[in-house]
Amino acid sequence: MPDFIDGSENVSVHGIFNWILLLAIFSVIVVIGNFIGYQHPISDSLVGMAILSLITLAGVWMERYLPFNISSIIYISVMGIVLAFPGMPTSEILLYYVSKVELLSIVTVFLAYVGIGMGKSWDEFKALGWRAIIITILVIASTYLGSAFVAHVILVMTGVPA
Amino acid sequence: MGFVTIPNKDDDGHIEHIYREKTDKRILKKNPWRDYRLHVTVFVLVIIAELIGTIEIPLSKDISITIMPLIYTIILGLAFYLAKPIKWIQRKQARIAEGAMMLFIGVLIAKLAVSSGQSISLIFDMGPALILQELGHLATILVLPIALLLGFKKEAIGMTNSIGREPNVAVVVDKFGFDSPESRGVFAIFIIGTVIGTIFISFLVTFSLSFLPLHPYAFAMASGVGSASMNAAAIGPTLAAFPGMETQIEAFAGFSNLLSFCVGIYIVIFVALPLTEKMYNWLEPKIGRDSIMPKKEDE
Repeated sequence: MPDFIDGSENVSVHGIFNWILLLAIFSVIVVIGNFIGYQHPISDSLVGMAILSLITLAGVWMERYLPFNISSIIYISVMGIVLAFPGMPTSEILLYYVSKVELLSIVTVFLAYVGIGMGKSWDEFKALGWRAIIITILVIASTYLGSAFVAHVILVMTGVPA
Repeated sequence: MGFVTIPNKDDDGHIEHIYREKTDKRILKKNPWRDYRLHVTVFVLVIIAELIGTIEIPLSKDISITIMPLIYTIILGLAFYLAKPIKWIQRKQARIAEGAMMLFIGVLIAKLAVSSGQSISLIFDMGPALILQELGHLATILVLPIALLLGFKKEAIGMTNSIGREPNVAVVVDKFGFDSPESRGVFAIFIIGTVIGTIFISFLVTFSLSFLPLHPYAFAMASGVGSASMNAAAIGPTLAAFPGMETQIEAFAGFSNLLSFCVGIYIVIFVALPLTEKMYNWLEPKIGRDSIMPKKEDE
């Protein structure tokens, strides 16, 4: 089992090919949803999704190839932030196309996969009692409300207008 | 609860790479794009969801509850998996969906990062609030007494130290061992959070937006709870509630989730977990009940 996950062997053209195809499928679904939900032109949003997919691909690739112990989430975030930096030569064209893809269109498709994926945990979920469900709900609510209240207090204290 | 399989640290040794393990296991060895039934199903779900569109249910003249397409796709996705007549969405498809999702998180993160980059000066201006709100996640420890009153013992430590997503599970397992009551507790939160977390948080956010008069940026920052899918589900209603502020909200939500991911884990290791244990040792003799956990029977 462990050799399954050991990085070196897995990083193959085959793997990258899989990532590209998956991202392409994802992009097409997002773009069509984006067109139905927000009427953004298909060609522009397709370019937007291609840009986001490229950033993702680069991040996922870097996580596995570069000799640093850094997660792809960090690589992707840093690339996205830097490329969109005001004043960067890339920022204007990037913002034009990426803004044509609504975040919610991505989220809607993403959560469809999440919904199907979480079905797998259903039997284990049913085996856990109502007490654990209550605690989970309270934990999620407190983590969200806790940070909302702290953020609100700091924003008000530092005088940020709403 | 012992049969719950969660990637543990022995696989790799680094908490940060849980996503990588899952993605690699599910994606690299198979040809996930070939499972056209899965993708066609998702496509159909998305079209149905987008055609229904956002529904607003007015509660009073000022307050209304918004239900968005993202809710339909999660619930329909789960329903398709569970519905017996739908034979083409089974455990195998769920595994592929889970692996694919780990890759698609990247697209979501990239979109949020672009909004963050665009508003980078605003993010620096709001630095104190962004960083300090990470400490707000410590509020989970307040749930500990309730867990004790419901009859949990050491499970409560695993349950209430954090939101209990992948990195938190790894931290608890690392500290207490795979078969410890603390790990059973965090596994329970993980499983339940996986199934109801996204749906619950989108309703929680919708109600909070209606009833709590907080700063729009505070809602945006709070949505970065440290789970990409819950983050996604929490941003939806927030964006809908403050039209015209999309870029700022995306920027704060994305950046705060990034902070939860980089800094949050250390807050759990060095602050939340020790604090939860202290609370437990102090409160358990006072309000602890008889344990409701079943004695280990033959599984």
